[in-house]
Amino acid sequence: MTASTLDSHPLHPPRIGPLEWIRSRLFPNLRSGILTILLAPVVVYALYRGALFFFVNGRWEVVTRNLTLFMQGTYPRGEQWRIVAQLMLLALALGVGTSTSAASRADIAREAGLTVGKRTPLSIIKRFWSLIVFVLVLLYFAATVTPWLVMAGTVAAFLVGTSARFIPSRFRNIGWTLAALILVAAFQVVVGTVGYSWMITAGVLAAGAWATFQFEGVEGRRATVYRTSVAVAAAVVAYFVYTVLVFPGVGWDHWSGLHLTLWVSAFAIVLSFPLGLLLALARRSTLPVLRWVSTGYIELIRGVPLITLLFMGQYILGFMLPQGTDPSSITRAITAMTLFTAAYVAEIVRGGLQSIPHGQTEAGLALGLPTGKLMRMIVLPQALRSVIPALVGQFISIFKDSSLLYILAIHEFLGVRSLVHAQPDFRVIAHAESLVFVAIGYWAFAYAMSKESQRLEVRLRAGKS
Amino acid sequence: MLRAAGQVAAVAVIFLVLRWLIGNLATNYGRLNIGFDFGFLFRPTQFQIPNHPEFDPRSPVWRMVLVGVKNTALAGIFGVALAGVLGLIIGIGRLSQNWLAARLSSGYVEFFRNIPPLVVIVFFSFAVFLYGPLPHLREAIELELFGSDRPALILSNGEWGIPGIRSTGDISLYGILTLVGIVVAALVWRWRTRVTEQSGESHHRVLWSLGVLLVVLVGSYVALGGPFVVDWPQLSENRRRLVSGFSVNAGFMSVAGALGLYTASHVAEIIRGSIQAVPWGQSEAANALAFTNFQRYRFVVLPQAMRIAIPPLINQALNLIKNTSLAAAVAYPEITNLTQTSIGNGRPAVQSIVVLMAVYLAISLVVSLILNVVNRRMQLVTR
Repeated sequence: MTASTLDSHPLHPPRIGPLEWIRSRLFPNLRSGILTILLAPVVVYALYRGALFFFVNGRWEVVTRNLTLFMQGTYPRGEQWRIVAQLMLLALALGVGTSTSAASRADIAREAGLTVGKRTPLSIIKRFWSLIVFVLVLLYFAATVTPWLVMAGTVAAFLVGTSARFIPSRFRNIGWTLAALILVAAFQVVVGTVGYSWMITAGVLAAGAWATFQFEGVEGRRATVYRTSVAVAAAVVAYFVYTVLVFPGVGWDHWSGLHLTLWVSAFAIVLSFPLGLLLALARRSTLPVLRWVSTGYIELIRGVPLITLLFMGQYILGFMLPQGTDPSSITRAITAMTLFTAAYVAEIVRGGLQSIPHGQTEAGLALGLPTGKLMRMIVLPQALRSVIPALVGQFISIFKDSSLLYILAIHEFLGVRSLVHAQPDFRVIAHAESLVFVAIGYWAFAYAMSKESQRLEVRLRAGKS
Repeated sequence: MLRAAGQVAAVAVIFLVLRWLIGNLATNYGRLNIGFDFGFLFRPTQFQIPNHPEFDPRSPVWRMVLVGVKNTALAGIFGVALAGVLGLIIGIGRLSQNWLAARLSSGYVEFFRNIPPLVVIVFFSFAVFLYGPLPHLREAIELELFGSDRPALILSNGEWGIPGIRSTGDISLYGILTLVGIVVAALVWRWRTRVTEQSGESHHRVLWSLGVLLVVLVGSYVALGGPFVVDWPQLSENRRRLVSGFSVNAGFMSVAGALGLYTASHVAEIIRGSIQAVPWGQSEAANALAFTNFQRYRFVVLPQAMRIAIPPLINQALNLIKNTSLAAAVAYPEITNLTQTSIGNGRPAVQSIVVLMAVYLAISLVVSLILNVVNRRMQLVTR
């Protein structure tokens, strides 16, 4: 093949004029043309009615007057700074996390002698356009200047966070630990330091210390002992800091609105993953009892709808605990959602485990690896990598399912409507408006997640071939 | 040895956790004087099910369970039908070369796939029906057919009246004759298929079987002297309720309609994926045989695509049936909604939820049995 034939097949199709475009896309043949003529008036009419609803007829006061309620529900008004601080910290953590991840990817690419495509603002807008649309909708409905300030602060915090890319590559794990710690701080600034919240911080600190500290010249078992003691020390320090530092907050029993929806989904996702992993491993275990129990659990849960489990949490869970322990309805709901999602996660992970050729296990055994290490170092990394898209799909589904809390009279993003429409002004009107707003909110997050999952799928497939 | 120890340890841990949970439950129930028996199923329900005048508050709880299962099945069947038809159209539309049709279909899919089904149900229930544009039953819209003075359709925000049938004779015998007619039509279908296979003449089996069915239906209607008449919908004098015709409840339309619309987006994705999974060479082969576009789809592409599509489609049907449980948020008395009301009325929670879960498990089991049968048959057909 010569250069000239290559040139005659340009990568991009030739630009065509608008008339040619209409002819080829809308009237390529008779039947298609008739379809266009039938559909076009319907589309134009629907667009007209939609625009009328959005810009003229819609009684959007229901949203403008209740924007705070939709976002953070009945969260105590005097404590709102916590949520604002949380938003900033989350943005900071996101900035640190993404820039660390980008930097470490760039390191790997440089080692392999490849160039990485630079991220431009345009590409980010293209990736997260649904979320940006939602934020713009929020700002459009903002009655005061506060939401604008909060948004500007959030963007600024994100930009500050991205300076983590200047951390030298030797200390990349510090970046990760920092992101995780800021994430924990974002959580703590709202809930305070009372109760068992020190455990989360201690866990993150310990894991960070474990991953960061490398001792020169110490190897094998000694290194493990050293790193473990550093991690334990970090956890102990965290415990004492927490007992000294008394910082009261507002626990999740008092959360509602979009704030609650996002956190409930995040908890269900984070908690269900390890449980699902254990269930998947148990289902493939050679111990028959473990296998039966896990298979029975998974099949039972997958056979019933989520709402039955939520009812169980609501009506039975309290009775299954010793008298006096009375978890709040949000804790019960999170438990039920975790137990439910774990069964689906287990099936997805099992699919991934089955897709790993048996030769991999055999190779590991031939190297004399014990079962635990074999799983951790050879089978699981490959299996989990191949099921990431399916897992993200499951997490989108649990995000959407968090709307079921409405049935339990918990005021999450959908349930907040019952507070909004209890107001005398909106008792019987503007139900369509508030529901459209809620639908846009859910859609923006779920769509962004599904687009990211498609990107991941493409990247993973590219890595395979 | 180690394996045996692991087994014992696993059993012990699971046993102890379960014992702890159930022991607490027993203690707490004992304190509150609640038993673990299912005797409540035979005691009166003590509440009225909306839109079910034939249901008496004195009838036992198991009758309520049956009503709930029936309503779950109804919403499930209509939802699956709607999702199937709509999903097929949209799935094919996404592959259309017409830009407008492809864009509309993919917009539909991307929108409905990414919002919670409960939001759609609540939208229908509140924004379309309850507080929607339709008037209350008192001022219901009555639509007449051309040239007739009685309404054929009564629209209100709570229920719709549509024409039904009213028995004037032996309607059950007519039902049996209809079944016989369907069996005969199926036999005719097989006979025409065999004729084609043996002699090569065209079968026209659709025309043949529909014709036979029609003859049986009309013949038995005349022979039985008109076992039923069309029952036109009509409002009572004070316009408070429908006195005749078939009443469709807004809760039912919300649940079946919303789940149909939502699941259609998933069905469309499955249809599109399976059509695209048929190798392009198959279409080229059909073109080489000078098939028309319709023939190419009907005889080459769709049979192969369906083989890929049917297992996930059955799964979606099961998902839709399980999602009818979201009717607990709106006033549609299916099994979850009724169980919630019944627990609220003081029935024991544990047993009620066990019954509820058993119902859904039974449905899941039946659907997965169907799935297995279909899978086995399709493998036999193709290999």
